[in-house]
Amino acid sequence: MNWPIFLLKPFFLLLIFSCLGVLPASADNRVVTVGVYENAPKVFTSKSGQPEGIFMDIIADIAKKEGWKLRYVPGTWAEGLDRLAKGEIDLMPDMAFTVEREKMFSFHKVPVLSSWSQVYARKGSGIQSILDLSGKRIAVLKDSFQQEVFVRLTKSFKVNITLIPAPDFKTVFEMVAMGKTDAAITNRLYGEMHAKKIGLEGTAIIFDPRDFFFATTRGDPKHLLEAIDTHLAALKKDPQSVYYQSLRKWTSEDVKLNLPEWLPILAVIVGVILLTSLVGSVVLKYQVNLRTRELQQINQEMEQRIIRRTAELATAVEAAQAADRIKSAFLATMSHELRTPLNSIIGFTGIMLQGLAGPLNPEQRKQMAMVQNSSRHLLALINDVLDISKIEAGQLDIALTSFDLSASIEKMVRLVSPLADQKGIHLQVDIAPDVGMITTDQRRLEQVILNLLSNAVKFTEKGHVSVVCRAENDHYFLSFADTGIGMQPEEIIKIFQPFHQIDTGLARKHDGTGLGLSICKKIIDIMGGSIGVESQWGQGSTFTVHVPRQPKGLT
Amino acid sequence: MNDTLLIIEDNEQNFYMMRFLLEKNGFKIIGAEDGRKGIEMALTCKPLAILLDIQLPEMDGYAVAAELKKHRELDGVPIIAVTSYAMMGDREQILAAGANGYIEKPIDPATFVSEIIQYLPKDWDNKEKQDEHAHRG
Repeated sequence: MNWPIFLLKPFFLLLIFSCLGVLPASADNRVVTVGVYENAPKVFTSKSGQPEGIFMDIIADIAKKEGWKLRYVPGTWAEGLDRLAKGEIDLMPDMAFTVEREKMFSFHKVPVLSSWSQVYARKGSGIQSILDLSGKRIAVLKDSFQQEVFVRLTKSFKVNITLIPAPDFKTVFEMVAMGKTDAAITNRLYGEMHAKKIGLEGTAIIFDPRDFFFATTRGDPKHLLEAIDTHLAALKKDPQSVYYQSLRKWTSEDVKLNLPEWLPILAVIVGVILLTSLVGSVVLKYQVNLRTRELQQINQEMEQRIIRRTAELATAVEAAQAADRIKSAFLATMSHELRTPLNSIIGFTGIMLQGLAGPLNPEQRKQMAMVQNSSRHLLALINDVLDISKIEAGQLDIALTSFDLSASIEKMVRLVSPLADQKGIHLQVDIAPDVGMITTDQRRLEQVILNLLSNAVKFTEKGHVSVVCRAENDHYFLSFADTGIGMQPEEIIKIFQPFHQIDTGLARKHDGTGLGLSICKKIIDIMGGSIGVESQWGQGSTFTVHVPRQPKGLT
Repeated sequence: MNDTLLIIEDNEQNFYMMRFLLEKNGFKIIGAEDGRKGIEMALTCKPLAILLDIQLPEMDGYAVAAELKKHRELDGVPIIAVTSYAMMGDREQILAAGANGYIEKPIDPATFVSEIIQYLPKDWDNKEKQDEHAHRG
């Protein structure tokens, strides 16, 4: 047979390419290797050997959009970290950002999700607070941030514990279940899913909220992080995206409802159809055709329904966005409308208190001072509510400028020192000589510093408040320590939530909106930093802030 | 000697408050409740300084500041924006529009007048006023 040469040529080329496995060079770069370890529901291997979980769903979706080919490398957490550090794999899922880790790895900026850590123990163990852990053995994931953080936490309570590192969370839990250790530390997502099954229960020791990210080998050699951030930000905006589907799938109770139920049924139907067509009976064939037509019809109806539903959703999203814009405009207008009369109340009260409009008798003076206090409180509330709404609507813009951090701290210290003097509290400031310029939003950072400082002074009746600032790598570290009333462990976890002010009966003595710390946390988050607190009831509190010298994207 | 201040402010109470405080310190006050009238008065009266609200009906404070800056004869007449903290970036925006200073509401009666005086031209013959202010403050 004579094949025309123009038909043969491409055929041969194809043959050569497929035999030699020659692929265009660019395709090589697009293979992305991902470490997989056992941390359900965030990342784990399914019974069928497939990588599953929230982080896997998200990276699979991003890979699809970016055209990456994903290759999974199973192992323990510590092996994964090791491989990532050596550059043997490209990505590790579910890594909390720590300054220590940043020396070896690079992180993207938009967190995938946030989670707390919790201590678990056998049912009826009686372990409830940190103090109950004294002298106990506690299993913890090897090389995890919990290992480091928990030692610090227990030290601050002067509680001695022994940490037993284990290669994965499953072993961590088994060690407690089998009585090898007294308690275990895992993240709450894992704990909620697995503790009950193995006979463990969560204690009230919940600590250290963290944002979790994908991490690459330091320097992000394959330039994955920016793409992850871009897609993640888009995924988080769309309530129907893979991101939210995955969260619903892996964090809700009706996990089992999805695939497995109809899959076998479908398999049976397909099997029956195949078998009947094999028999080749005309009647069966006819029936099959009939069924096929019916199925086609159903299929068409489904398709139409999907198109209709998609259109409805698009309209709904548009409406929601419009509502959001109206909400913002409403907030801006309302806050102005509320402030204008309030400003006049505060102003005229001030004029009267100063005696500019004539003398006041002592009772009148007392009552006018009350009007002034109440209206100032109301104004602070309005300002804070507006801030919170802006942050939650994603509208808090960060105006970047370079300025001297030590000058800013000194400025804020000057603002609170009159109150400290009045209360007889010693205000101690220790700024290291290596503290200099920072590029971030000056007013917002000063707002955070002032808030933490005035809280410290406000909640301290005697003793001192000490402010420390020093440079650490590409971060500045700030701490605000006081010898005030302190907090109970269960209060600490709520401290960064809106409208939380510790109710101790003392609360009425300390005015404030209860919004300050949640605003601080959100501002610092937006700046790419972190904020934390350690506290002991009756002894005092220390708030710590890490804030990048340069916005993370620009370094 | 020029000791007239122009206040452009649409809220009656705010205007009354600023006038009360400034008159107590010996300034003469003229007022306009919207931007157009404000610009007109600035050009006819050539005040010592202009206190400008930002949220005004029709023509807002940014537009008023930009318009005032176009008039050569008002060179050296400071524009001091007086507005609430409300909008993020207000300060930067109003200074960029041409204002020389910025005072946040709520006004603190104890410091308001001295804040205004700090923005007045250096060669302003203020001996008499400052003495009086010091005496009262």
